Amino acid sequence: MSPGTTVLGQAARWLLLVWMCVVIWAAFFVVHPAEGFKGQASRIVFFHVPTAWVATLAFLVSCVASVLYLTRRRKVDDIRASVSAALGLAFAIMATVTGSIFAKIEWNSFWNWDPRETSITILLLMYAAYFALRGSIADPELRGTLSAAYAILAFIAVPFLVFVVPRIYWSLHPDVIGQTRSGGGGFDAAHTLVLLASLAGFTGIFAWIFSVECRLEHLLRRRQEELLR
Amino acid sequence: MLRFLAEARAVLVKDLLGELRTRVAVSTLGLFAITILVAVAYAVGPFRISAEDRPLVLATLLWIVLLFAALAGLDRSFVKEEEARTASLLRLAARPLAVWAGKLVLNLVLTYLLMALIVPLFCVLMAYRVTSVPKLVLLLGIGGYALAVVTTMVAAMISRAMTRGALFSVLALPLLLPLLIFLIQGTAAVAGGDVRALIPAVRALISLGGAMTVASALLFPAVWE
Repeated sequence: MSPGTTVLGQAARWLLLVWMCVVIWAAFFVVHPAEGFKGQASRIVFFHVPTAWVATLAFLVSCVASVLYLTRRRKVDDIRASVSAALGLAFAIMATVTGSIFAKIEWNSFWNWDPRETSITILLLMYAAYFALRGSIADPELRGTLSAAYAILAFIAVPFLVFVVPRIYWSLHPDVIGQTRSGGGGFDAAHTLVLLASLAGFTGIFAWIFSVECRLEHLLRRRQEELLR
Repeated sequence: MLRFLAEARAVLVKDLLGELRTRVAVSTLGLFAITILVAVAYAVGPFRISAEDRPLVLATLLWIVLLFAALAGLDRSFVKEEEARTASLLRLAARPLAVWAGKLVLNLVLTYLLMALIVPLFCVLMAYRVTSVPKLVLLLGIGGYALAVVTTMVAAMISRAMTRGALFSVLALPLLLPLLIFLIQGTAAVAGGDVRALIPAVRALISLGGAMTVASALLFPAVWE
């Protein structure tokens, strides 16, 4: 029996639904707009930061699965690596869109070539290239090997893009968690609580979609193999 | 260790002799770089950029010329083995790491030759004044090495794919963009005389180049065999 069809799996999905409803309700109706932000702009942070976090997590999972594929040569690891990279790409696009909306409200422009905006663009290009590589190789084993190597190389650049570039070059991008820790303006304890709850909720959404997509990809590949026989 | 060095040296000598005979990579890289440089020098010229913007804009143009020229020819190291059907023989003759080291040094030689040709020409044609030549040479050395590491690994990957030509740029460019950010900022700092801005760029370049070297050395056997 697959994990999605067990009672525990169904309960976890219902819990995730209720959790996300509470997060959305808290983000829009419980906490007041944070200080230091224009109008209601701070509310988008509850969704922008978790999507960016999940994108980074997904790229990490893709890298780990790629390492496992190169060591164990099991098909399931290649499926996990490609599914996780696709989800990372989707969440990175969501982070870019929500970030752009925030930038328009805060800085009156959707795109400013800020170090963080530049970093996420490069990440999007890297993982789009990963899928271009996968599409250019017909042999499944060779495709798995080369794309695993590329995913690992791409992930090496992730810490530099996410942590190094925005810290060594001047950036407009606010650091809400950092401000809270230092006790400065911006996010207070209630905001941080909602943000952490949203982070947990989005991580749960990622885990759920990841398991569903992996099973779906596995079935699709099995069907393909049966058709080719 | 001695056998490894001998194999790597043999791979390098074979490729260098082949290159001296045909001059495909050298002429592709050189001509491509000079063509872009002439186009840039004609379109932008040495005095159309304000003095304030010169360090950053000219650093960007310099690295664009170098990067695009590198992308035009550095994939040859592996692609030619597949095209000439000598890749299988090379797999039998040398261990993977020796092949990787030999090809890396070849790409390094080509990159440094390209830089030796283009950087002085760029400085003359664009009236680009650099306050500290040794610091620029250091940056070019580190940048050229990182460029060669990434392109060698991507060349090995695309040589085994179906659509080689376009795929090399598609795969290599996103991996090179973080390096390019640090290289442009570092070169602008050298040109503008801001040494403090150079240090974080050099640190980031060394760490990213080092990480890419270790990862490439570990991954190459899986890609090659």
